[in-house]
Amino acid sequence: MKKYKYIFLLIGLSIVGCSDLEEEPIGLLAPEGFFQSTGDIQTAVNGAYGHMLHRNFMSREMSMSLMLRSDMVNLNKNVTNAERVQFNDIKLLADNANIAVYCPKCYQIIGAANQAIAGSELVSADVAVKNKIIAQAYFARAFVYYHLVRQFGDIPYLDKPVTDIQAASTMSKTPAAQVYLNIIEDLKFAKEWLPNTQTTRAIPAKSAASGYLAEVYLTIGEFQKSYDEAKDIISKESTYNLGLEADFQNLFDATKSAASKEPLFLLDFNGQSDGDQARNYQAAFTGIRNDAQYGYGGGWSVEVPALAVYTTWDSRDYRKAFSLDATAVFKGVTVDYTQFTNTSIGGYAAGDNSPHIAKFTRKAGPAAEGNGRTTKSDYIMMRYAEVLLIAAEALNEITPGTTEADGYINRVRARARNTAGVATTFPANVTTGLSKDAFRTLVLEERRLELAFEFKRWYDIARRKLGTTVFSASGLEGAKANFDPARDYLFPLPSNELVRNPNLLPQNPGY
Amino acid sequence: MNLKNKLIIIVILLFNITLYAQDGQLLSGTVLDANKIPIPGVNVIVKNATNGTTTDFDGNYQLKVKSGDVLQFSYIGFISKTITITNQKKLNISLLENANKLNEVVVVGYGSQKKSDITGSVSSIKAEEINAFPLLNAEQALQGRAAGVVVQSNNGGEPGAPVNIKIRGNTSINASSAPLIVVDGFVGASMPQASDIQSMEVLKDASAAAIYGSRGSNGVVLVTTKKGKSGKLSVEINSNYSVQNTSNRLDLLNADQFADYQTQIAINSTGNPNATYAQGPANTDWQDLLYRTGSTSNHQFSFSGGSDKINFYASANYFNQEGVVINSNFERITFLSNIEAQVTDKLKLGFNLFGSRGTKNGVPTQSTGETANGGGDDVISLMFRFMPDLGVQDANGLNTTSTIGDNIDNPYAIATEAINETKTDINRSNLYAQYDIVENLEFKTTLGYSTTNQTVGTFRPSTLIITAGGGTGGKASLSNLKRTNLLSENYLTYKTEIGKSKINLLAGYSYQKTTNERFSAGAQNFISDSFSFYNLGAGSVSVLPSSSFSDQEIQSQFGRVNYDYDDKYLLTATVRRDGASNFAANEKYAIFPSGAIGWKVSNEDFLKDNATISNLKLRGSYGVTGNQAIDAYESLASFSTLFTTIGGQTVGAVVPNQAANPNLKWESSYQTNIGLDLGLLKNKVTLSLDYYNIDTKDLLLEDKSQPTYLGFSTLASLRNIGQINNKGFEISLNTKNITNNDFSWSTDFNWSTNKNKVVSLINGLDVFYDASPGYFSVDRTHILREGEAVGLFYGYDYQGVYQGGTLPDGTATFAGAVAGDPLFTDVDGSKTISTDDQKIIGDPNPKWTMGITNNFSYKNFDLNIFFQGAYGGDIFNLTNVQLFNGDSNASTAVLNAWTPTNTDTNIPRVVANRGREISSRFVEDGSYIRLKNISLGYNLPTEFTEKLGLTNLRFTVSAQNLLTFTNYSGLDPEVSYFGNGGGDSASSNTSQGFDFGNYPTIKAFNLSLNVKF
Repeated sequence: MKKYKYIFLLIGLSIVGCSDLEEEPIGLLAPEGFFQSTGDIQTAVNGAYGHMLHRNFMSREMSMSLMLRSDMVNLNKNVTNAERVQFNDIKLLADNANIAVYCPKCYQIIGAANQAIAGSELVSADVAVKNKIIAQAYFARAFVYYHLVRQFGDIPYLDKPVTDIQAASTMSKTPAAQVYLNIIEDLKFAKEWLPNTQTTRAIPAKSAASGYLAEVYLTIGEFQKSYDEAKDIISKESTYNLGLEADFQNLFDATKSAASKEPLFLLDFNGQSDGDQARNYQAAFTGIRNDAQYGYGGGWSVEVPALAVYTTWDSRDYRKAFSLDATAVFKGVTVDYTQFTNTSIGGYAAGDNSPHIAKFTRKAGPAAEGNGRTTKSDYIMMRYAEVLLIAAEALNEITPGTTEADGYINRVRARARNTAGVATTFPANVTTGLSKDAFRTLVLEERRLELAFEFKRWYDIARRKLGTTVFSASGLEGAKANFDPARDYLFPLPSNELVRNPNLLPQNPGY
Repeated sequence: MNLKNKLIIIVILLFNITLYAQDGQLLSGTVLDANKIPIPGVNVIVKNATNGTTTDFDGNYQLKVKSGDVLQFSYIGFISKTITITNQKKLNISLLENANKLNEVVVVGYGSQKKSDITGSVSSIKAEEINAFPLLNAEQALQGRAAGVVVQSNNGGEPGAPVNIKIRGNTSINASSAPLIVVDGFVGASMPQASDIQSMEVLKDASAAAIYGSRGSNGVVLVTTKKGKSGKLSVEINSNYSVQNTSNRLDLLNADQFADYQTQIAINSTGNPNATYAQGPANTDWQDLLYRTGSTSNHQFSFSGGSDKINFYASANYFNQEGVVINSNFERITFLSNIEAQVTDKLKLGFNLFGSRGTKNGVPTQSTGETANGGGDDVISLMFRFMPDLGVQDANGLNTTSTIGDNIDNPYAIATEAINETKTDINRSNLYAQYDIVENLEFKTTLGYSTTNQTVGTFRPSTLIITAGGGTGGKASLSNLKRTNLLSENYLTYKTEIGKSKINLLAGYSYQKTTNERFSAGAQNFISDSFSFYNLGAGSVSVLPSSSFSDQEIQSQFGRVNYDYDDKYLLTATVRRDGASNFAANEKYAIFPSGAIGWKVSNEDFLKDNATISNLKLRGSYGVTGNQAIDAYESLASFSTLFTTIGGQTVGAVVPNQAANPNLKWESSYQTNIGLDLGLLKNKVTLSLDYYNIDTKDLLLEDKSQPTYLGFSTLASLRNIGQINNKGFEISLNTKNITNNDFSWSTDFNWSTNKNKVVSLINGLDVFYDASPGYFSVDRTHILREGEAVGLFYGYDYQGVYQGGTLPDGTATFAGAVAGDPLFTDVDGSKTISTDDQKIIGDPNPKWTMGITNNFSYKNFDLNIFFQGAYGGDIFNLTNVQLFNGDSNASTAVLNAWTPTNTDTNIPRVVANRGREISSRFVEDGSYIRLKNISLGYNLPTEFTEKLGLTNLRFTVSAQNLLTFTNYSGLDPEVSYFGNGGGDSASSNTSQGFDFGNYPTIKAFNLSLNVKF
């Protein structure tokens, strides 16, 4: 026995551990078995919304690109980052660093939506119940493809999760016209199954699907359908719980915008972030450098409208006062925009002596991080005023000179006359009986001001082929000599993507 | 061991003594070493007879002998002595230590070997070398001491900064190049205190390291801690104190010069000769304000001893360093205990225990590169950048922030008000049993467990306007990492001799499991700045909490054959089969074989009695080792969660993260080593030469060749695609120049060269990456290109200042440049500089590194002089990119910038923002030779120590980094900026040679005291 007790001891010590080496991750999600309930489908749809809150999408790279490309926002001349200069100066290269990051992000949103749609088939529940949820994913997919097709034209189109990586890696582009058809189908599905209202405007309801349908039709010149769709929404204003916010400024008040009746769809930032996930950058990029007005040390003065945007905008327009910040506070002293770079009073040498965008700063509340990063601002993707303007624009193309079309614009203007509760006389109602061309110009100008800095302007320029006018010497930003109408209404597909999949060739013309 | 057993032992001892005292002539005496210290356990045997004994605790022996007997006294590590007995009754013997290093026993994986029998490439560093001068950490002892081993701090002289070891170059691109650390058999342990270490062995080639299989490709460092010796109880006290200073400072503009500089910028940028700059109210030398004289105190107490049945070593250590940057310090307390008991003739049990607590209070350094705040909380780079004409606080008592360049808080405010505290507890226990099953067959089993518990707390009070996040009332976070490591190893060793053949066999099984648990939480907008990070609930805005768990298992079988024929021909073969949970489904198991041969030429008859050549051995080895570069769960298809808010609420969200990758496997290094060991003149001169060639294949590279439209969050997938090659040559030369009674001089020299080359990349395409601080907004600073070395600098090739008029041939400027702007090589011939004009502009890999130690001793004095150096590596001085950029304070060199009247200069005209271009203008030669240590020691003569009742009393004065010879213009040629991951990315193989914002290297003066009794 004496001997054996040592043997037992040795065995006891040495017997630890024998494993099949299979990994069983905890805290990570394996795709197999994830989809069990309708709640899981919603969680997958939420992934699509989540990706929309990443900086690569509307918070920073893509929104910056769209803004700088337009005639309403200039790049501070001291900013030298090539990817920004290329957008602002209309000399895009195919390896542009912004495109290189926001394009993949767009497809991640689409991938998440596709996953939700495919995953719903694994859940046994009533089709109507499931459709109500995946209709959101159809909307999200259409919403992003609509951005992509307007920017790039023909693009790779996927409507299922990728299982065969090899096949998906060698696919060809889908022509823009087909992409539009797919977008329309998705939006129709979404409109059919989404409810009339949702608990929050961050989740699309019927109105969002319908609003985007109207805009998509407008973009592709299907004016009758566009008008019909817009009219349909307007006729269901109360069903959809829509309306114009009484005070324009409340639309950009972080404490009020989400509760407003006006947005159809918005990206909802709540002042929290996980790194660049859900970190909201607009206040930083548009805010005045060194400005103490909002408590966080000012923004970065990167995306700054040309001075002409300010000087050409009628000062009686309440929307101007709210859209632009013409004063800053340096060291406790309020100074006007001509002093923004005056270092002796606390200005910033590399800033910009021009009024800055106020929509993301003035009522955005405090920022969780320095320089205005991570405020609670909501980014409104579409609001009811735009639906009215779409209806007006589309109707004018079908039947010019109607009072109905005038009326839609007058509603938007009437709201603009409500200056923080005080009625004013500007902007006046439209002159009746305008010609088709004059009305078209008017409605585009109305969109430019009403929807200023809401990421819409470049699409209007591209859609209406306004480049030769707005980028001429008489444009707001002066002559943009690089502008080439044969090339510049589309952006180049990311060059490295064409290397990774040569079947995506040819590149867009001129790049 | 209980009292009863103790009594039994004592009885047995007594019985033995009386046994020998039974008849005949009784001889007694004491065996001492050269220092007159008794040696216990010396074997005393009568040759050609059966009787014998061993010395007791005090070196005494008694033995029955008769006249004419030949007595042999032998003890490991000492030269045996034989004495013929006449008829004396007392015989005192002194044994000399065996100075022949070839008989040294060297620890190898799962065993030990005589140094002369080693066939692989192994460097050994003993306690004397480790303790030649005070070290901040044990890893430092390897620097310059072992050929082919490069040691670098993650962050200059930062108190508590981790240290990287690299053996024979970068054997990977994306995976770590850090060697496996094995402490007393515990794989993956943390380093013990330097003064507790008996020896460190560096296993460099595959023959030595392949026994560690998939974790051996970066080499292995085997650490053996001190054990007690049977004999007298020994108590040792080590105490040292040092003062430290920055070794260098930068010459920066003062407030007046800065105002002139900014005025010139205003003139240059507006074209208005009357443009002005409004000078601030102060004149602050931020370096003066933030640097201080640092200090280190290190106190160690240990005691050891044992009987013939049990031995022990125990120590306690207290280390405290006050860094040279204000508010940075590190404190650590460490305990170590090793106990070993011979339970029966056949069974030995042992227990090792290690525990430590380290507390590091850091200042933010090595810009984390948050683009958001312009590298804004990095006090080192900020003290160079920040405007000298501002004070710490403005007229309103608020901390100043920069009014030019990026919005940043002043560095003094950050250093004094920001809190970054890291507390690390490490506990390790290892129980082992060794059992002699039959003669020569031994079984050893070990069971070990270690835990690391680390808490990191950060706090930014509301008074830090920028870094605290928009003045929103401060922000704080607390995170925790708990890592456990369970190890069970069991192996059999068998030794036999058949004729002239000696055979050693080893076979074993090992199982190891590591787990990691993390969580972190944070909050901001506190009602008070007084909570630090200990009241997260008091923040009205919570920051997203996170947590994660991972575990990894590895189970292995391993074996080794050592064959020795006639002490001339040696053969070693090892194999290890590793199965690891983190390997992908199709590649769960891997086999790593190695083989080596050795020829002891000097034992051949024709050299046996050669007067000059006392040792000559040729060695050759080939083998395969691996690198476990795959993280847990990395090969699995996964969804990931995403932080998402809807309607103001945070909601659960998942997105497709990556597709499954069932073929992902380890990286493999195919290593060849050819070596020669030569000893001349009775080994007064020993020389080792080693040549190696390492082909690392199946390197895990991020494959970005998959289109990004597939919709996965992970855009790059890992593939076993790349291949790199390292070739090198190492020389170790040790000479005993003079050995007299009173004076001796010896020199240890080592030199190594390594050349690495990228052999293949994905589709042969260049890989560009950026390792500059995030706020630089630079796309690329480095390149990987087939046929070139790893991690070359990539940028514009600076050609001096454009003087106006026609461009010199082959050069161009950026569009819109005027006279005084920089000129670059026009690579693409487009006459304008664009990204197409970037090229390789520097190579951070040194051509060679060396270390030379001279040891002198004269009577009771000894002197150690240790130089260490590297030649031929470039440094990219990112600090200067900022200091010549215009939007911050500047180097005084800008006073010589180009102006229409000062055209003969290499410094372009000053402008508001140079765009932080990456160009060869900032690439410098980083070669250096440095007097790493000089120390003078004095041992009090024995007659005094005896009076004091001490065994030994020693004083040492020393200085570290006293002299550095270099042409590098920056602070220090041992640079350690690793890109915008900060210190976390320090294991990177691909972003070496950058200098930016790391903690300064220090110059130290030490006084130490060592007492033994």
